[in-house]
Amino acid sequence: MVKKALNPLKIDFKKGIIENKLQQIRNSRTTTTPDLIKVWTIEVNPKDSKYVLDLIRTKTQKQDPISMLHIKRIRKITNSDTSVSLVVVIGSVELFEDKNSVQSMLHSFRKDLKYSNLSSSHEIPKEGPQTKELMLQWSDEYWPLVWRGNPNDQILNDYTFNMPFIEDILLKIHRLSQEQYENGNIYPIVTAFVDPNDSTNCIYACDTRAQQESSPLDHSIRIGINAVSKRLKERKKVIDNAHTEGYLCLDFDVYTTHEPCSMCSMALIHSRIKRCIFIQPMTMTGSLKHKSGDGYCMHQHKLLNSSYEAFQWVGDKLDPPEISQSTCC
Amino acid sequence: MESRHLTHMRQAVKLAKYALDHNETPVACIFVYEPTDEIIAYGMNDTNKSHTGIAHAEFMGIDQIQEKFGAENLVEIFKDTVLYVTVEPCIMCASALKQLGIKRVYFGCGNERFGGNGTVLTINKDHSTISLNENKTYDAIPGIYRKEAIMLLRYFYVRENDHAPKPKVKKERILDKETFPPIIWSSYIDRSLFGQEFGLENLVHFDENTDLAGISNHGIDWKLIDDSCDDIVDTLEITRQKAQINIHKRIKSTK
Repeated sequence: MVKKALNPLKIDFKKGIIENKLQQIRNSRTTTTPDLIKVWTIEVNPKDSKYVLDLIRTKTQKQDPISMLHIKRIRKITNSDTSVSLVVVIGSVELFEDKNSVQSMLHSFRKDLKYSNLSSSHEIPKEGPQTKELMLQWSDEYWPLVWRGNPNDQILNDYTFNMPFIEDILLKIHRLSQEQYENGNIYPIVTAFVDPNDSTNCIYACDTRAQQESSPLDHSIRIGINAVSKRLKERKKVIDNAHTEGYLCLDFDVYTTHEPCSMCSMALIHSRIKRCIFIQPMTMTGSLKHKSGDGYCMHQHKLLNSSYEAFQWVGDKLDPPEISQSTCC
Repeated sequence: MESRHLTHMRQAVKLAKYALDHNETPVACIFVYEPTDEIIAYGMNDTNKSHTGIAHAEFMGIDQIQEKFGAENLVEIFKDTVLYVTVEPCIMCASALKQLGIKRVYFGCGNERFGGNGTVLTINKDHSTISLNENKTYDAIPGIYRKEAIMLLRYFYVRENDHAPKPKVKKERILDKETFPPIIWSSYIDRSLFGQEFGLENLVHFDENTDLAGISNHGIDWKLIDDSCDDIVDTLEITRQKAQINIHKRIKSTK
């Protein structure tokens, strides 16, 4: 993680555009009500705060599937007898399923830690808000939050881009798509799959649904995912190391000429890819842009358990052959 | 509810049990060609063996239909084909089924994480997933052998945890055989379709989000999910091979 000012990439944080070439695709329907998640809290005497902070640092912060960097862990309360207690957020209900597991963790951490009111009744916003005003409002309504700027700025800043490599692959799939078109493929859609551990050896997949004996579901992304798995199986036979060597398309970057349909964008979720970059939006059938199709934004749909980054190429004109907008890609 | 729906779903449940017994996620399906009421394909989850995240039960079935009847006939066949699947199709499968223009889907329990027929998204009724035949949208009807489908997933979940390294601080997984979440029928179908499918006398279940009586008598058909059924694949394979001829005749005769 570098500081924003030190990032060598030119990032337009307002518009979410990197190097004037890649447009970040995100669900921009802004929400003023947060998703909430219940957290386990305990009350402790202020003099014990250092133990509790140590506990959080060593026992829960890293393990918790819910990041809590956007909240204040400790909230002061004044009791009826004017003494002061601290309410401390230990971890989310996704980390600890029930009271017993919190108790046994606390006990194993420090036998004589004195605490009271262990409960999971407090709720915190699952993610930090986009604006400072909203941060203050949510702090008031739910739980004190920390303001570190628009969280998306940090997200943008943390992305890594090898621009020459990206442009090279995009040019390649664009060229392949032209070739397909010239060879009479009425579905000139091409996708490249790049393995993070083997980036020079990428898999190019063409849409084959126009071919005989091919199914209407043979979209380039599905063809590509199957090609990756075939390669994985062959490698596993050689290496015979089933559990460490490769898993689905984990952390792959996927480059595609046309915005994927609902089937393909979900197939990429199932395949655990890291990033999808497309050239041509599909206004009717696309499933990534919030303005495409039914606005699914499949790559970061809140109800799905995983997500990937998505970008649209907005740099020098790359015009893939035109296809009907009612085509699912 | 017509008895043929129950008969077909029982086959799907048995196949899911078979998948469970062979270390796969217990999700399985049966494709039935409605005009002849014949099983033309079956499928179960194959993500472990195939090393892809996309080898879902529905795709095994689609591949079987394609292999037997030819890719060029897929859409024509799907127009009259009904799917019985133990768990609601995920978004990807719901989309594939819509693109192929399936007639209707019956499923057991909802798919809490990925469901594409009402739980997470309602792909079967959307605008952006383009169907390739006149079935522009399809109905997906939940609740048939729902508790049995849930129990098979719970069996899998408890067992799977035996092998997994413990990533989270969790209590021991205990197999819950008693409690089931309510079924929110209105997430999937409206009241009138419910009435058509299950009978007006059962509308109380729609209104109260309760399971249907009569299918498993508010209990669970333990025999169905606990008896081993290693012959189910052979049985289904023979059945689908037989079905092939009838469909070929039909397609040829309509051309």
